Amino acid sequence: MSIAKRVQQWATFARTWHIYDCTWQNPFESAQLVKTHLMGLHKPIYHPMNDCGDHVVVINTKEIALPGDEWVKRVYFHHTGYPGGASWTLAWQLHEKDPTMVMKKAVYNSMRGNLQRRYTMQRLHLFADDQVPEEILTNVTNQIRTPRTVPQRLDHIDKETLENFPAIVDYPKDYVLR
Amino acid sequence: MSNSHLFLKSGFPRAPLQNGLGRYVCQLQRITLKFCKNNGSSRGMRDFIENHLVDFAKENPGIVVYVKPRRHRTPVLVGEYLNGDREWLSCRNSTQDEISKWIDLLKTQNGSSSSMRLRKMWHTDVPSIQGPWTPFLLRSPDANNQTLPNKEASQPFDIPQTATEKLIELFKQQKLEEGKAGDEILEQKRAE
Repeated sequence: MSIAKRVQQWATFARTWHIYDCTWQNPFESAQLVKTHLMGLHKPIYHPMNDCGDHVVVINTKEIALPGDEWVKRVYFHHTGYPGGASWTLAWQLHEKDPTMVMKKAVYNSMRGNLQRRYTMQRLHLFADDQVPEEILTNVTNQIRTPRTVPQRLDHIDKETLENFPAIVDYPKDYVLR
Repeated sequence: MSNSHLFLKSGFPRAPLQNGLGRYVCQLQRITLKFCKNNGSSRGMRDFIENHLVDFAKENPGIVVYVKPRRHRTPVLVGEYLNGDREWLSCRNSTQDEISKWIDLLKTQNGSSSSMRLRKMWHTDVPSIQGPWTPFLLRSPDANNQTLPNKEASQPFDIPQTATEKLIELFKQQKLEEGKAGDEILEQKRAE
């Protein structure tokens, strides 16, 4: 193989690193996106038999937002293998123990249970907050766009913007403001 | 495909050593015709041997032809190739025309075709005019300068305008139209 061809091969099969910000995102919706990048499904060269998956760094997993009452209704099952070893953990309990676990399980469960799944999961790097080690962050060349916008909280808006906000209604004179 | 194809070799169409470019080397090296001298199923084979075999051998000096009579057995064609392949073909009840067609097939192919599954039905020396894809193809040049993670790169592409933004926009427009008078009215209202 000539040098030019070899370089072409490296370029085509280069592993790209993506970063994904989980803040206010539904982990099950995000898992589909993350899975696509982990398996390399977004590439035109994708084939189940070629190894073209990318690395995904997922940050702010403790800020995820589960839909509806999933925090109290979703149950994670584990069995130690011994009699009486079954345990059921609610999503909020699991999230308190390990804030990356819900996201990790969402990605793991979004993929089909084949021999490749464990190796694909090794390319997923989860971080509870936005503190990512420098050696990982230097590899990152792309950010995955989130499916939903992050809503702005009232107590995070600065005072000046709040005060200059246009008045929508005129309160009646006898209206008691609390 | 069925389970009997699990151990079938697979490959791509190719010409060994660029066969056919400049020179052609017949890949069929040996052919064996097995037949019975008096069984009816060998009738076509016997006709072929009687009428065409000598011509065939003269036309193709590169192919060794063996003829093997055997009693009360099915007529068979066996071709042996330069790459070591061996193709076995039953010619039971075939006419001499059919047999000459099969022999023509054995002669023109470059290996046993029935023992290989083709992964592609075509071959090209120029797989892509554009060049192979790379992950860096068609990426925006801005991507080189931005520091990740950042907020703009994380947002979805199509964000509809929110009611708050619309309100602020309307307010600004109103302010421009009314000029200073509008500000005074607003301050008065705030004071109240």
